[in-house]
Amino acid sequence: MLEFFTDPVLRAPTLGTMLMCFGAGLIGCLAFLQKRSLVGEALSHAAYPGVVLSILVSSLLFPFSEKGAALSILIGALLTSSLGLIVIHQMEKRLKISSDAALCFVLSLFFGVGVLFASRLQIIQPLWFQQIQLFLFGQAATMVDGHIILYGALALFVVAAILFLFRYLEILYFDRGFAKALGMRVGPIDLLTYFLLVVAVIVGMRSVGVVLMSAMLIAPPAAARQWTNRFGPFLALSSFFGLLSGFLGNLLSIYVPRWVGEPHLSLATGPMIVLVASSLCVASLLFSTQRGYCTRMARIAAFRLETASENLLKALYKKREGKKSWWLLKWLEWKGLVENSALTDLGVQEAEKLIRLHRLWEVYLVHMGQGVERVHASAEEMEHILTPEIEQELQALLDYPTVDPHEQPIPGGAR
Amino acid sequence: MNPYWGATLTSFFPLFFHRMLDLLTGKLAWTDLASDEIQVLVFALISIGAALIGTLLILKRMAMLANALSHTILVGIVIAYLLVGGVGGLSLNLGVVLIASVLCALLTTLLTQVIHRVLKLQEDASIGLVFTTLFALGIVLVTLLTRNAHIGLEVVMGNADALHVNDLKIALWVAGGNLLFVLLLYKEWKLTCFDSGFAKSLGFSPSAFTYLLMLLTSATAITAFRAVGVLLFLTFLVGLPLTGRLLTQSLGKMLLWASGIGLFVSLFTVALSRHLLTVYQMPLSTAGLASCLIGVCFLLAVLARGVLSLTFTKKPG
Repeated sequence: MLEFFTDPVLRAPTLGTMLMCFGAGLIGCLAFLQKRSLVGEALSHAAYPGVVLSILVSSLLFPFSEKGAALSILIGALLTSSLGLIVIHQMEKRLKISSDAALCFVLSLFFGVGVLFASRLQIIQPLWFQQIQLFLFGQAATMVDGHIILYGALALFVVAAILFLFRYLEILYFDRGFAKALGMRVGPIDLLTYFLLVVAVIVGMRSVGVVLMSAMLIAPPAAARQWTNRFGPFLALSSFFGLLSGFLGNLLSIYVPRWVGEPHLSLATGPMIVLVASSLCVASLLFSTQRGYCTRMARIAAFRLETASENLLKALYKKREGKKSWWLLKWLEWKGLVENSALTDLGVQEAEKLIRLHRLWEVYLVHMGQGVERVHASAEEMEHILTPEIEQELQALLDYPTVDPHEQPIPGGAR
Repeated sequence: MNPYWGATLTSFFPLFFHRMLDLLTGKLAWTDLASDEIQVLVFALISIGAALIGTLLILKRMAMLANALSHTILVGIVIAYLLVGGVGGLSLNLGVVLIASVLCALLTTLLTQVIHRVLKLQEDASIGLVFTTLFALGIVLVTLLTRNAHIGLEVVMGNADALHVNDLKIALWVAGGNLLFVLLLYKEWKLTCFDSGFAKSLGFSPSAFTYLLMLLTSATAITAFRAVGVLLFLTFLVGLPLTGRLLTQSLGKMLLWASGIGLFVSLFTVALSRHLLTVYQMPLSTAGLASCLIGVCFLLAVLARGVLSLTFTKKPG
């Protein structure tokens, strides 16, 4: 594993990919919070004609300069991608075209222009055509140390810009109206975030490719959002997920062809990175401790068990007849509330507490003006939810009542 | 061999219409169609299908879902091939088209819904997550199954020169199906597009129409991907209706404008690419050219609308 960072041939692709995906994960957060994740999709496709055109131009002007080509690709991509952004904006504003149609049209139209010029390049510069085709799905393997410096600098620029703007962004995305009321100039900040988005897209193109670049703006933030509610950790976690998928995706694009017995098949890096990132995202959606699906389901199941066992406890206390599920009895026995189908002292205490909460809540509802005959159903639910603190407050508010609205005693309610 | 060899813009059209007349009167067999003619016909069918479906998609604001579908058809096709057997050069037959389109329409819609509703991810991110992942999966599968890294490129760029009479037949079926569904259910579409609440109260299920639309979109995308690639198909699907939308306010006229412009673009694209080859020895991607021409049409429509509104609207006050 370590040779990916030390080996002179493997080092550049590994580090380069990680840096690119790091930047994308960071910027993706901003688009994610604005609910405009799909803008990245349009911007990355709009960068393709820039790549093709800049190579067409630079191969005519400086036919032998590798470094010049790498730089001109970035500039060309930056230009057309920004142009795409402007066109989308104008279509929405001037022509009143809905945002999704405008995005879709711009991405396919720009890509079409790219394909047209690429077919020209194929004839006049076949070698360069091969090179730029790598930008479609990304190919990290051909990166050299020079690329790391270039892409590292750009990634650093993105990080620096975010850190510089951190306070403003935090306020802006938390409450736009508040930010405006504070006198923040929202327009320029939005413009700058879009510019950063474009930079992240053209930086990431080399390893992830224009076709799948948008995934790196979506999956890491979506994954990170599941784990935290705070802005800073959200950004940090998202860029970490980007970094991780960059590393693992690059690794897999080398190993998978070996595993299937075709070591010479060159698997594009982009799809592998995207698959890793989306696996991370789906895993987070399912298992995150904050809002993951399994966690939520477990919480609901635990609450249902709690409610059912508390209801059983009440039924035992009131010596009500009826079928009692044996496994709930076992559960109560295990908790030490029941022995030989009878309540223990602890069980009696618990049951009295439930009944107290139930009747206290009924008193409270009547106190608030509800009809006596209607309060039972609500209390049936609230008895499982009320906390000791709320109980204290209710007792104080209602002046330590001893009977409920149905003239039943409230057990253990003494001060 | 190819009768269009050496044709220019001026000689292309007479020759084309003459041969089409021969085809209709039976003097020319289907199997003797030249590559240029197959391209014109396939492009025309794709653009009619895309114009009809795209209009409905635009009005229902489902363009991004269509974008998602055009990516996921790849995985649909790969799975259909695994079921039917044989991957080869990704040529199509009707069975594969049917299985794949049902599969990917369902897969895309259901996965997006599940991630949005059950896993509670915001909608734009769910769409983005689903289609990029499925597309990445499709590319990896295609590369590994065909042991060929090049095929992934053809999937996104299209290769109009590789079209075959077989593709024409499938395009005919699908375009016919689109036409049938749009015309038969014209009133219902109109209702669901403009007032889905009213449609619901009359007893039409909007979600059934959504699924039908997704199904038609994926079938159209599958017939188109060999000719124009999964991405440039979107120019047809979105560009043509948007151009039509600029020129008219009525649904019927919008459908007609979109299909008409599509027909013109298909014919003109092939003629132009033949012209460029003959006169300048410049072979260009037909799909890319078609895409650019649709862009030009859109621009002209924007200008036309600007001129019209300047000339005919009363100045206030």
